[in-house]
Amino acid sequence: MDSTTPSSAQRETRLVQAFVELADTLVDDYDVVDILYQLTQRCVQLLGAAAAGLMLSDQRGSLTAVASSTEEARLLELFQLQTDEGPCLDCVRTGEPVLVSDLSTAAERWPNFVPQAVLQGFLSVHALPLRLRRETIGALNLFGRQPGPMPEQDLQVARALADTATIGILHERAVRRGEVLTEQLQTALNSRITIEQAKGVLAYAGHLDMDQAFQALRGYARSHRARLSEIAYQLVKGVLRPEEFLSPGRTSSSPPETVGVRHPEPPGRRPGVGHDRLGTSPPRRATSGSAPTPAP
Amino acid sequence: MPDVAGPEELNRVRSTVMAALRDKADAAEAVKVVCLACVELLPVDGASISVMTDEQHRATVYASDEIVSRIENLQFSLGEGPCFEAFNTQRPVLVADLARALALAWPAFAEEMIEQPVAAIFAFPLQNGAINLGAMDLYRRLPGWLSPQEVALALALVDIATTALLVLQLRALDEDDGEGESWLVLSTERKQVHQATGILIAAFGIPAEQALARLRGYAFATGRLVDDVARDIVTRRIAPTELDQ
Repeated sequence: MDSTTPSSAQRETRLVQAFVELADTLVDDYDVVDILYQLTQRCVQLLGAAAAGLMLSDQRGSLTAVASSTEEARLLELFQLQTDEGPCLDCVRTGEPVLVSDLSTAAERWPNFVPQAVLQGFLSVHALPLRLRRETIGALNLFGRQPGPMPEQDLQVARALADTATIGILHERAVRRGEVLTEQLQTALNSRITIEQAKGVLAYAGHLDMDQAFQALRGYARSHRARLSEIAYQLVKGVLRPEEFLSPGRTSSSPPETVGVRHPEPPGRRPGVGHDRLGTSPPRRATSGSAPTPAP
Repeated sequence: MPDVAGPEELNRVRSTVMAALRDKADAAEAVKVVCLACVELLPVDGASISVMTDEQHRATVYASDEIVSRIENLQFSLGEGPCFEAFNTQRPVLVADLARALALAWPAFAEEMIEQPVAAIFAFPLQNGAINLGAMDLYRRLPGWLSPQEVALALALVDIATTALLVLQLRALDEDDGEGESWLVLSTERKQVHQATGILIAAFGIPAEQALARLRGYAFATGRLVDDVARDIVTRRIAPTELDQ
């Protein structure tokens, strides 16, 4: 779509990684929030979308913006919810993709949404349903800075990512029979609140901005193979200390960081720290090794 | 779609609860409205709400009938049951047929239920992020699932009860600051309020509910909106030390 689109070799590698990561998360005990966040990130990295956002619907028909790659995307999604119009809403309501390669021609269809999107520099929107058979549970929305259709190949990748996430979400629901999607959504939303609280804790303790705090949180959860929401909860409750998330030498007196913190925890486990403190999480395999892991 | 109560009914319940709180209702009066709404609007026979901090510290705030009251007491004396599971795992626990359920996390409680006219139990946590307030138990005499729409309705009612308990805990309606309970909306859209809560947790080493109370207290004392104060804390225009009491 633009010059930041990766080369085809890089792209193929990343594509494989993205699916491996998604599949890996689905095999393990996982967070819906984490899956959805991953999905928006991968769409931006793989598809040259400028931003991605995700809405889920509960069974009373109300929609919530649950994940987004950037704050801008989140605001655009919220804007659609507030004004009750926009491509993402249409996509969820119809269960069909809504592909708008040039937003400037769509002002009549969405008189509130289009000017707002254009104002934020977004000129195309591709909304894909999260759908399994007859059930539409939400939409994945890809925002582009240039007008133009998304290449067919990219659309296929986006659909495959969305389908994988959908199957994952609905699968957990099938496994835990009584837990209907709405309940999952509520749990996911409450996890979001906990994660925001945890970001605040880390931001203060480590002088990080909120994105860096989130990366530190996520890096820790990954390296300990624990649920993001569980880690966030333990941090907010004081079971885990902020220092355990921050690189050695990083203290609250250090100046604000200018570079992003990716994985402050080394991949190996330190004794006495990690999943063995997480009473409710089942033990996990230590590596994601090359041998295929059968689904439970 | 099955006939499930719509937004009007929910709004009615919400305004009844909030009006009661403005009239200085206590927790029991406020959650009673929610429990009775559950019995009225959902295919359940009884509802109760308990507040707790752990298995040792808990109290039933309201129980709509004798049976659900017994359900609460049994869980409390055994130290196990669906309400503790919902509270501890932060997820609803939905058991549509107790007689056929396998691998329940609370075998002793399930055993006791055989003698009770209780065939299905649905327990929901009352929570706001990492602030855990308690749980709501619903039971029915006959086995059967709640439909997705009914679960959605139950969750909306749980949110009303949670808001009411938070209002009481934070004494948010004692002072009329013009915001009423609106800032307490349990929503991910108020991201910065949750982030600022986290910052205050780290800055003062206090639990989440106290951090939220402090945020709100400062906003009231300075005549500002909670959202605005939260934004200033997150963007570091206000240092947490300014909120020290």
